[in-house]
Amino acid sequence: MAIKFPSVDFFKELTRRMDGNAAEFEKLGFCDTTMGVKVDGDASHLYALTFEVFGCSDVRELSSPGDAELDFTLEAPLSLWQEMFESIKKTGHPEPAYSLNSLSHVGDRMAVVYDEPEGHDKFYRFMATIQAFVDQASDLEIEWA
Amino acid sequence: MSYYGSTDYSYNSDFNLRVRDIKKGNLDFSWLDNARDTVEIRRRDPRRGLMLEDVEVGDYAVENTPEVVRENRGLAPRGAILAEGSDQPDLGPSLNKKSDVWGYRVQRYWEEAMSRQWNVTTDVPWQDMDRYEISDDLEFAFCQLCTLLSEVEMIATDLPSKWSHHMNSYFQEVKGFIATQCIDEARHAEVFRKRALANGVGLLRASVRGEHALKGILEADSYSEGSVFLHVLGEGFILTLFRSSEFISPTPVEQRMFQLVMQDEARHVSYGLQHLKYLMDNCPEVRPQINGFLDEAERHLTGLFNPDQLESMIVLGGKGTSPECIKRGIEVVGAFQGKQIQEYFHRAERAGLPERKERSPLLELQQRMLGALQSA
Repeated sequence: MAIKFPSVDFFKELTRRMDGNAAEFEKLGFCDTTMGVKVDGDASHLYALTFEVFGCSDVRELSSPGDAELDFTLEAPLSLWQEMFESIKKTGHPEPAYSLNSLSHVGDRMAVVYDEPEGHDKFYRFMATIQAFVDQASDLEIEWA
Repeated sequence: MSYYGSTDYSYNSDFNLRVRDIKKGNLDFSWLDNARDTVEIRRRDPRRGLMLEDVEVGDYAVENTPEVVRENRGLAPRGAILAEGSDQPDLGPSLNKKSDVWGYRVQRYWEEAMSRQWNVTTDVPWQDMDRYEISDDLEFAFCQLCTLLSEVEMIATDLPSKWSHHMNSYFQEVKGFIATQCIDEARHAEVFRKRALANGVGLLRASVRGEHALKGILEADSYSEGSVFLHVLGEGFILTLFRSSEFISPTPVEQRMFQLVMQDEARHVSYGLQHLKYLMDNCPEVRPQINGFLDEAERHLTGLFNPDQLESMIVLGGKGTSPECIKRGIEVVGAFQGKQIQEYFHRAERAGLPERKERSPLLELQQRMLGALQSA
């Protein structure tokens, strides 16, 4: 059954998969960050994902950025998120231009928004875990908003 | 042998008699005389095991340690009972003030470092390299990049190890964290060496300019100066370089490599930032010294923008050596260099040095680079 993107259910499904794949995420180590995912389309949606220890302990949609203490937020239009997940679907991992780092680096197609450099640096400190988290969508049937 | 102790215990009759007495079963239990009340330890999060923060109680807590440690100049860990008198050897630590070395949240960085270690030999998918064909231009360019990065990581291993034994043993968490940095950086040097050799090309030109820049890090007069140069300035730049290198990597194998190294690098930057912040919060009188040092350090660092590295990144960024590829590569490299400088100024501002942006020689460099991009 297709899961709508973006939605709380989508990220909760990735969380469920993360719990089922504990060995991989434990090998990557502790991941402690609360990140935002912002999807801009006809309407904008902002989600807070809280990573603690080896899992994602909370997923919620926010009305505004001030509703949670976000270390950093990845912001992109819906079309770019779709391109990224479709790239991941091809081989289970993104093509080089579609890794979270690549998208948010040169060209800033995906913006990394943050207040504190410490929060910003958490994106890089936990990069492998966050990338592995989104890569879990490789065999998800997605219904695009 | 340059240290001869005040007592030769192998010939000390009192010591030998005492040991023989103990082995006959005559224990005096004097070491229990100073036994204290037990402390209550609570594991805050059973998923993590027992964390450093869990054992920060009473005399063992760093917040209960005075700013200046006078009582211990040996190896005794914080909280241990020290012998009366001056029997404990003086190991000569020169960093005995918390603000000399401490950083907010250093305990957390230690736990994260220990938890997120990885193995070059097995965690990089070397076996996948045979699936990809890389042109000679790109392979040579990548090996040149790996050569410079190996040089950088050597210094990043040497600076923390240079200062570790100067730190008072009461600051165990910092000593431990910088030890994890040593192994992280040694691992980085390993991965860049292996990658340069993996397809048979090997290491290319070592950088004269780059090494002069790196020497400035090692020769810093104080740990804090060395830390701000290495962790905040240098590793901040290198973190952005790693991000760019992931972006321009010729195959997913190199992408994975840079994904892993950037995690370690970002953690070092975080510690350096928090040490600088702690220093500015607790010793604002050192601001002119740090600013003066950074005025020179930032000039030094421009040596890392050496022509061999720049050209190799332009080739990688543009995916070739044709005029069109070079033009594209120049845009890619220009963009990341601008980011390096911008992110450094933001870190400096948040650490308590907002004036860096106005007085830094990097600002002029940034403007020159932007100008070059616009005219390219």
